Amino acid sequence: MDIRFEEAEARFEGRTVLHPLTLSLSERRIGIIGLNGSGKTTFARMINGLVTPSAGHVVVNGFDTVKHGEKVRAESGFIFQNPQNQIILPILKEDIALGLKSRKLSRQQSDAAVDAVLDRFGISHLATRRAHELSGGELQLAALASVLVTEPDILIMDEPTNQLDLKNRELVRRTIEGLGENIIVISHDLELVEDFDRMLLFHEGRLAADGPPADTIRRYRELAR
Amino acid sequence: MKTLYVEGDSLLHRLPPRAKLLGLAAAGIALFFFRSIPPLALAALLCAAIYASLGIGLRHSFARLRPIFLTIAVVALFTLLVGSTEEAATVLLRLTSLMLLAAAVTAATGIGDFIDEITLAARPLERIGLVKAADIGLSIGLVIRFVPEILDRYRAIKDAHYARGLKPRILTLAVPLIILTLKNADEIAAAIDARGIRTQK
Ligand SMILES: Nc1ncnc2c1ncn2[C@@H]1O[C@H](COP(=O)(O)OP(=O)(O)O)[C@@H](O)[C@H]1O
Ligand SMILES: [Mg+2]
Repeated sequence: MDIRFEEAEARFEGRTVLHPLTLSLSERRIGIIGLNGSGKTTFARMINGLVTPSAGHVVVNGFDTVKHGEKVRAESGFIFQNPQNQIILPILKEDIALGLKSRKLSRQQSDAAVDAVLDRFGISHLATRRAHELSGGELQLAALASVLVTEPDILIMDEPTNQLDLKNRELVRRTIEGLGENIIVISHDLELVEDFDRMLLFHEGRLAADGPPADTIRRYRELAR
Repeated sequence: MKTLYVEGDSLLHRLPPRAKLLGLAAAGIALFFFRSIPPLALAALLCAAIYASLGIGLRHSFARLRPIFLTIAVVALFTLLVGSTEEAATVLLRLTSLMLLAAAVTAATGIGDFIDEITLAARPLERIGLVKAADIGLSIGLVIRFVPEILDRYRAIKDAHYARGLKPRILTLAVPLIILTLKNADEIAAAIDARGIRTQK
């Protein structure tokens, strides 16, 4: 994984949401924390090109997010804050297969990939269930399966344990711990990210701290006071 | 709206989706060429047998088919009032056959297969530059997927009115519902992009 922000800035309707930022990310597990509205989601969306910089560049594994949006999105998977909005087809296994369509796989290959990813997250029993009926924890795992079936290099998750009860939070936490992919996780659940390799803190659209989690979390507590 | 698909491994399940949909269309047309009772009765029996081969179970089948069957019964009754007994029986048998066959095909064909077939059928329109065929299939999937979610939101907004002692009115219901729906539509569109679903040619 190799993510570079070069003086990248995000502006919405004339308001600067992320001030020009230069940094590079290559650690396997990176946490992002900060108060509501501090720019975390915007920063994450810039990594996969859903938000393009109003100035500067973002380059992911050598691909510029503006010039090579499709390649960038193939390199990075994104789990949104509301996973129910990212399951697009009514039946889970068909939704997962949808992400594979552009691969031109045979029916057998596609079915095998879907089965394997369902099995990986222990949700084979949900294969033919309606997305509408899944619980919060199940939805989070389903979203993971639908994104990871295409084997992206980088996985970005936006507050993955936010709306979950204690049991599902543990389940998702354990699942994230077991992931071998490069992961970037936005979280208010500090326990989830405290043992990550690096942690960024955003505050009012600027990077306010960057380093080992313990230091970043200390700074966060000061800011939040 | 729910998906009507029923898990199973019957012959009808295993038949290629295109054959099923074309067969259903052909049978629908053919049924209107029979005008006497014996062949139509035979067709109804055959369709019932096909439906039974899915193994859905009597009670469940009854629940699924009742609304359509009631409609057919009303039509047949009306025909009886204005026409002959034979005409009414013809209508009853013909529509019942069609209902059973259509229900069987719907129950035995997954939504993904439906979408693939619709996408294929839209290819000629794509060639003359009218639409992107894959988008038509995707749109149908999205409608089936998100109608229940929108209904949930509608109920939640109505409950919020009651909880605050407000009387639900069209305007106060519709405005938040539309805003919520648009906000979700934005997110769904972002997810479609993020998952690279519309990138295929
Ligand atoms: N699409 C958008 N249009 C306008 N403003 C936006 C948009 N997305 C985010 N913002 C604004 O940018 C700021 C940062 O938002 P966000 O990145 O979502 O913060 P966080 O994820 O840290 O809570 C907020 O003030 C938010 O209102
Ligand atoms: Mg956010």
